[in-house]
Amino acid sequence: MLFDSSSWIIAPIVLPLMAGLFCFLFTRGTFAISVVASIANLVTVVVLHRQLISFGPTRYVVGGWRVPLGITLRTDGPALLMLLMAAVTGVAITFYARGYFSFRIAEPKREGRHERQQRFFWPLWMMLLGSLNALFLSSDIFNLYVTLELVSVSAAALAALSGKPASQIAAFRYLLVSLLGSLSYLLGVVFIYKIHGVLDLDMLRMAASGGPALGAALALMTVGLLLKTALFPLHFWLPPAHANALAPVSAILSGLVVKGSFYLLFRLWFDVFPGVIATPALNLMGLLGAGAILWGSVQAIRQQRLKLLVAYSTVSQLGYLFVAFPLARLENGAGVWTAVTFMALAHACAKAAMFMAAGAIFLQVGHDRIRDLAGVRACLPVASLAYAVAGVNLMGLPPSGGFMAKWLLLTSSLASCRWWWGLVIMAGSLLAAIYVFRVVSRLFVIPAGEPLRACYPHSILLEWPALILALISLLLGFAAPYPLQLLDTAQSAMALFYGGLP
Amino acid sequence: MPILTRNRNNRKRLDPYLLLLFFFVACLVLWLGAILCSLPMGVPGLGKEVASLQQRSGVQSPVTAVLLNFRGYDTFLEVLVLLLAVIGVWSMTLAPFPSGEVEKSPVQLGVVRLLTPLMVLVGAYLVWQGSHLAGGAFQGGAVLGGAGVLLLVAELPWLRSVPSLPLRIALLAGPLVFFSVALYCLLRQGKFLAYPQDTAGAFLLIIETACALSIGVTLASLFAGGRPDDDLPETGTPSDPQGGRTE
Repeated sequence: MLFDSSSWIIAPIVLPLMAGLFCFLFTRGTFAISVVASIANLVTVVVLHRQLISFGPTRYVVGGWRVPLGITLRTDGPALLMLLMAAVTGVAITFYARGYFSFRIAEPKREGRHERQQRFFWPLWMMLLGSLNALFLSSDIFNLYVTLELVSVSAAALAALSGKPASQIAAFRYLLVSLLGSLSYLLGVVFIYKIHGVLDLDMLRMAASGGPALGAALALMTVGLLLKTALFPLHFWLPPAHANALAPVSAILSGLVVKGSFYLLFRLWFDVFPGVIATPALNLMGLLGAGAILWGSVQAIRQQRLKLLVAYSTVSQLGYLFVAFPLARLENGAGVWTAVTFMALAHACAKAAMFMAAGAIFLQVGHDRIRDLAGVRACLPVASLAYAVAGVNLMGLPPSGGFMAKWLLLTSSLASCRWWWGLVIMAGSLLAAIYVFRVVSRLFVIPAGEPLRACYPHSILLEWPALILALISLLLGFAAPYPLQLLDTAQSAMALFYGGLP
Repeated sequence: MPILTRNRNNRKRLDPYLLLLFFFVACLVLWLGAILCSLPMGVPGLGKEVASLQQRSGVQSPVTAVLLNFRGYDTFLEVLVLLLAVIGVWSMTLAPFPSGEVEKSPVQLGVVRLLTPLMVLVGAYLVWQGSHLAGGAFQGGAVLGGAGVLLLVAELPWLRSVPSLPLRIALLAGPLVFFSVALYCLLRQGKFLAYPQDTAGAFLLIIETACALSIGVTLASLFAGGRPDDDLPETGTPSDPQGGRTE
């Protein structure tokens, strides 16, 4: 081989980006290109996992220029788990999108609209996947800004793809909010560069000394990233943008895109600047997270439309990621960070599955008013099951990944006598049970005396990817040792998982 | 005057929400200004490293060396951001050209005829100049984009029938050339985007030329505001506001 094995790290970035370019250049065969790229992406991510387990975390110097001048990429436990999340969900979404678009093109409501959606979905989706991978792997504070921009622009374009006025308005608002977040982050980067004169995360970790200017820079970056992550009360843009997009796009936005900015925030707070963060800031994050859990759940319960319900449930589930912030500094910090990773992985799979199922229901029934969904399982048995299984994960019942995450958070909140966080987590699960059962009870009960629903023929790609993702999220609890092993292997990245502890 | 709203009953009334917002933004600006003033002045930054490695970058201009060599990966992704913007615009609508023939002023046509070749020349020169002075792909591309805007404003009839495929190739030229060079470097040097030292200057010029073309076409396409006619026409019912070619 001409290049050494460390160059595998650029494959998850280059493969999807290149596929995106070709999907734009060619008008035919775009699905084939995307399938090949997303499967190749999954394979390279698996290779990177094997490399991490055998050799430990690595650095890769792009362009051969060492820090402080050049840009480095790195693999470590959290980065690779996020890559795995994007790769697995990505393959499922790619197949589902094929089923979704072929259904819509077969039953056209308006000539040409669905062809247009399909034509531009593939390049945007492939480039979004590549940009997310670049975001997860980057180790340079300015390069991270560029990847954030790539993610925002492609995500906003995807959100507007449906072409309906409601979705265009929501997508435009999403774009503006996202840009505001990026600019706020960029201002923070400028401040940090002025203070420390370097951009590399590792050098910044060593140089970070505190002070009001660094605090201001971190505050700016945090607010920007919270806007993009849609943490309560900055979530106002998320439900309309996610609910009005096409179903595969909703799955991408809710499952993957919000995790990108969250991951960056998590890196900055606990990996790069752990010594600078004060406890009140952590408690504030926890408080906002608790607000998100309760407010998002209550809103989800009140919704009349299925996709809005699922979107509000995203607002609520994102809260759990932030409730972990105040718990991370305590004795049991490692458990908390495993919980966050689990939460992100399980939520990506479950939420993508839920949006896919909701999209299949929308296509078959023609609407998504929850009270008129009785007996949908007669024509969409697999998608209904996928919805229910994903719901199990949101409620946090064993053996799902959501259960593992909540269990870890709960034990660490009780062990440190901070039972109020545990109370919020349990209340959130209860509320999740209400909004999940509200829908599931209708899907599965065929009302007596009514004729069965008429069904359109559809390909198995419309239903099975959702079920497979839902099952992955359900069985994630059994795979608990693997992320732990990965995080253990990544010894040098352990500072991240032990919070501020030695 | 957004803050002071005047009406007949109470002559001057302040909108409390706007005032609050104004106050909040003012505080934010003051706080940021105070922080900015308190920043340490003597931090060197990376200028010294750039100067010391300048010789090995293949170009004399430090800006070009940073943009395309030391941090070429950033620029590579930035070029993709521009491309994504065009894909986003194309995905929404067809380019809106006015339907009827309009009488054009001979002055306008004369200006277009005179300026367009000149702007192409200036753009090309700016790209070339990027290797030793201020200039480069973005500046040259911006001038090329300006030439495109000039043509679009003049509403020349042939612009409407520009086919999609050549346009797509022009849009993708920069990213694809960048990609190919990066992969060639990976195979030759073992590192992504690590140009061989002796031919780095030539590689940078190739990348800059292709990127300038793509950036110029990108900016002009953004101004045109949609995809070309032969690229998936969407026929809608006339009542539908999104249909076909309204706006």
